[in-house]
Amino acid sequence: MRTVLLASLRTHTRRYGAALLAVLVGVVLVLVTASLSSAVRDGLTSGLAEPYDGADAVLGHPSPDDAARLLAAAPEQGADAWLLGWTLQQLSHDGRVVSTDSDIGPVADEPAGRWQELTSGRFPDRPGEAVLDNNAAKAAHLAVGDRLRIGTGSSALDVTVVGLVDSPSTYVVASVYVLWTDLARWQDHLYVSSLAWAGPEPGYDGARDAIRAVVPGAEPDTVDAFVQEVQKDVNRGVDVIAIVALLFAAVALLVAVLVINNTFTILFAQRSRDFALLRCVGATRRQVVRSVRLESLALGLLAAVLGTAGGLAAGQGLVALIHGQWPEARLGDAEVGTVWLVVAATLAVGVPVVAAWLPTRRVVRVSPLAALRPDDSTQVGTATGRTRVAAGVLLLLAGTAAFAVALAAAVPPALVAGGVATFVGVLLLGPVLVPALVRGLARLGRRLMGPAGRLAAGNAVRNPRRTAATTASLLIGVTLTTAVLTGLASSRSALADEMDDQHPVDIAITSARALPADTVDRARAVDGVAAALPVTGTTAEVAALGDVAVLGVPPAGADSVLHGKVRTPGPRAIVLPWDLIGDGLEVGDRVAVTVGERTVRLRVRAGDGWGEAALVAPGTLARLDPSPRLHAVWVRADEDADPEDLAGSMEAIGSPLGAGIENGLADRAYVDLQLDVLSGGVVGLLGISVVIALVGIANTLGLSVLERGREHALLRALGLTRRQVRRMLAAEAVLLATVATALGTVLGVVFAWLGVRSLVEPVVTGASLVLPWTQLGAVVVLAALAGLAASVLPARRAARTAPAAGLALE
Amino acid sequence: MTSPLAASTRGLTKSYGRGDTLVPALRGIDLDLPAGRFTAIMGPSGSGKSTLMHCLAGLDQPTSGSVTVAGQALEDLDDDALTHFRRDHVGFVFQAFNLLPMLTAEQNIWLPAELAGRSTTGLRDRFDQVVTSLGIADRLTHRPAELSGGQQQRVAIARALLGEPAIVFADEPTGNLDSAASAEVLSLLRQSVRELGQTVVMVTHETEAAQYADDVVVLADGRIVERREVAA
Repeated sequence: MRTVLLASLRTHTRRYGAALLAVLVGVVLVLVTASLSSAVRDGLTSGLAEPYDGADAVLGHPSPDDAARLLAAAPEQGADAWLLGWTLQQLSHDGRVVSTDSDIGPVADEPAGRWQELTSGRFPDRPGEAVLDNNAAKAAHLAVGDRLRIGTGSSALDVTVVGLVDSPSTYVVASVYVLWTDLARWQDHLYVSSLAWAGPEPGYDGARDAIRAVVPGAEPDTVDAFVQEVQKDVNRGVDVIAIVALLFAAVALLVAVLVINNTFTILFAQRSRDFALLRCVGATRRQVVRSVRLESLALGLLAAVLGTAGGLAAGQGLVALIHGQWPEARLGDAEVGTVWLVVAATLAVGVPVVAAWLPTRRVVRVSPLAALRPDDSTQVGTATGRTRVAAGVLLLLAGTAAFAVALAAAVPPALVAGGVATFVGVLLLGPVLVPALVRGLARLGRRLMGPAGRLAAGNAVRNPRRTAATTASLLIGVTLTTAVLTGLASSRSALADEMDDQHPVDIAITSARALPADTVDRARAVDGVAAALPVTGTTAEVAALGDVAVLGVPPAGADSVLHGKVRTPGPRAIVLPWDLIGDGLEVGDRVAVTVGERTVRLRVRAGDGWGEAALVAPGTLARLDPSPRLHAVWVRADEDADPEDLAGSMEAIGSPLGAGIENGLADRAYVDLQLDVLSGGVVGLLGISVVIALVGIANTLGLSVLERGREHALLRALGLTRRQVRRMLAAEAVLLATVATALGTVLGVVFAWLGVRSLVEPVVTGASLVLPWTQLGAVVVLAALAGLAASVLPARRAARTAPAAGLALE
Repeated sequence: MTSPLAASTRGLTKSYGRGDTLVPALRGIDLDLPAGRFTAIMGPSGSGKSTLMHCLAGLDQPTSGSVTVAGQALEDLDDDALTHFRRDHVGFVFQAFNLLPMLTAEQNIWLPAELAGRSTTGLRDRFDQVVTSLGIADRLTHRPAELSGGQQQRVAIARALLGEPAIVFADEPTGNLDSAASAEVLSLLRQSVRELGQTVVMVTHETEAAQYADDVVVLADGRIVERREVAA
């Protein structure tokens, strides 16, 4: 049998090309995931301990107030304390906004706590000086000597860059480091990850007691314990991401199993006469089966070698590319463990062997006499088994029941179970469902497609099982893609409503002092501004807060600039930004608001999204100040305006006037960006399985072309032109692709609807299904085009058939 | 013989391969096929009879020489033009694998007309006539797998006759049939010549089959070795 095995490997290798490609893509995806996650992990955990070098104890996540107290107390106790944390502030240089959300961190006063490594210049000596992280400086084109403005409005800080540093730890990296005395102004906006404490006497106990003396009940850790805890957190995060990526690899490999299974089924059907002949000349069943299984094993071994090599190369290449192109991503070194290699190689070998298992069993059902019969060259497709249909219907019913449970009780596992059951049900019913849909679609397009199209429709459904298997692989990818796209579109619109509430104003220029009247026109003249609205108010003294701009809302014409509605206080209320609340002022308090000699007492409410100003009803404002003046300009941006450019222009207008800028547009854009990245990433990963599925369609078509050589010859003899042959094959591919896509789109949308109903709606009020029509349309059109592309090679081959070839009996 | 020619060849040669492996299949054939007659081309395996038929039918390109069918010189036509020519002027009946398995008998018969984009209404009468005379009117909705070998060949003949082609080529049409079915098919071919005035050229290696023809051309080693009329 070895001669037979080797000879058939030689003969059929080319036909296994697509199967090989399908496994390879999946295996490479697994190894690339392994490389990237190891690089990310390395980048995140390396240098994790360095900021705590020399410390005796670390207090994790203290409140900013506690941290400030500890920093103040340290010198009195002869100890060193330094803080790790950051605040997000707008950063601008020469009136140009470098970033709307730059992370600003502290650099310790004492050299002991300075974990940043100075690469040029010096560390700050006094307030008003800052050092920049090298990567951040590179990305923003900043250098030593530059003057920067951090933040906006009354809390803005001007600093000079005096040095550049490397930040060894990604965990606490910031773009700009300033001294604590400068950073303290944003204490309310500070996120403190940890505080390191080094007492005069080394040792954990002394440090712990010193910390507890300032913050009673604090639970500081030893440096080692703290670092280990952080390391665990980081690992967990990376693991979650890697698992998600591996889920996509699993989908890709599942599709690969389908494609390979189909390939083997077709190839073995074509070779059934060979197998029968082998049986005739004395091969046992076992021998034939073993020879065929060894063939799939050989394919698997080849895939294992190529896949691991290719996967490692692709992973290293990608990491190197990211190192070169995006240094701020801070990837470490990629190191793929042996376990990964073993898993990848096992998958590469296992997928073809598993995929070939069932087709192999069918091989030996052929009776040896089949070889002696004249070739009728076409097996009319087997009728779909009753058990299969029954199982399919049962699964559909079970899936529907699970969905009902999920909807009624919002149980995510029921949703997943329902999705899986329904999908498998549809796959099982495929041999009935798909041909019916193909016929329906072909009937719709009858006029359009001509005789070649009619032949294609016939060809597409002649072997229902093969048709179903071919479309199944594409169906998986399209269903998942559509579900994700629709789900994200629905979440996006739900989020958009929420964003409208949180950021009613795109950009607000607000000042405690009255603004010159031409500010509105200057703002309106800026590129990217759709509308600018004057908002009048007055400067009032609000209890302990000092002078605050008090605006009368809603201003006339508010609808022209606002998303949604801004909070409208009642006549006896004042809405204060959350930032101003705290420090002895609570929501529900009654406060005295005074302008000159007029005082009104108002109930405190809180809100956000319009900058540093209090809001009152117009009547209240009139009582405070009969002639209110311009205190704010609310700007509505064009749909496609760049938030940072716009913020820069507004900064240029507001900053000389001492006005602060509230940039809701940047937050909006950030949320949009995150959703875009998420959908792009998911669609990209799913795209890999779609590509494998298309390779499968091309493969099925190519093998069918070989099988139908005599038919094509007959058709050519009867008057089908070459172009019509090509059109026939193209129509077949497009029919298959379109039916799979249409079915997948419907399933995906239904799944998304169920997901939104049972998962999103209970959490986000007002969430509802939003169909991203353009994206869904693009999926259908792309799939049809890809089907067309998949038919190119097989069609060329078919068109080459000479009419005389294959007519005579072999 | 005064009837006009349905097809003719002059100096027709056809070789396969090149160099050392060159195999001449036809070595100079001059042949006239009169219209309205049933001609049998005979010869042993490898005599070149199938190659001759393929060249006559425009299924294969000759190495040299000329082929004229229905007044058209085939060497002037490119692949598309040849395809259109076959569609309009030539009918085929093959030994096996004559019908497309996914189409019904009726769809198979209409196929060439449909490929040519001809209107079916004009051919309706012809269709009924052909189907009735071939005795397959009650088999039209069946697929090839549900038909016997003889019935399949009758469907193939109906398909060849429907378009009233200048010439019908039959390549070993009885090769796969038992003797009763063979006799039936051959009678039907002869009947189409007698009653419809159809020109039929049949390639066969069976002497009994040749008995149904009007003329017999015998080939050996790529040359015509005998031409005779069959006594009625």
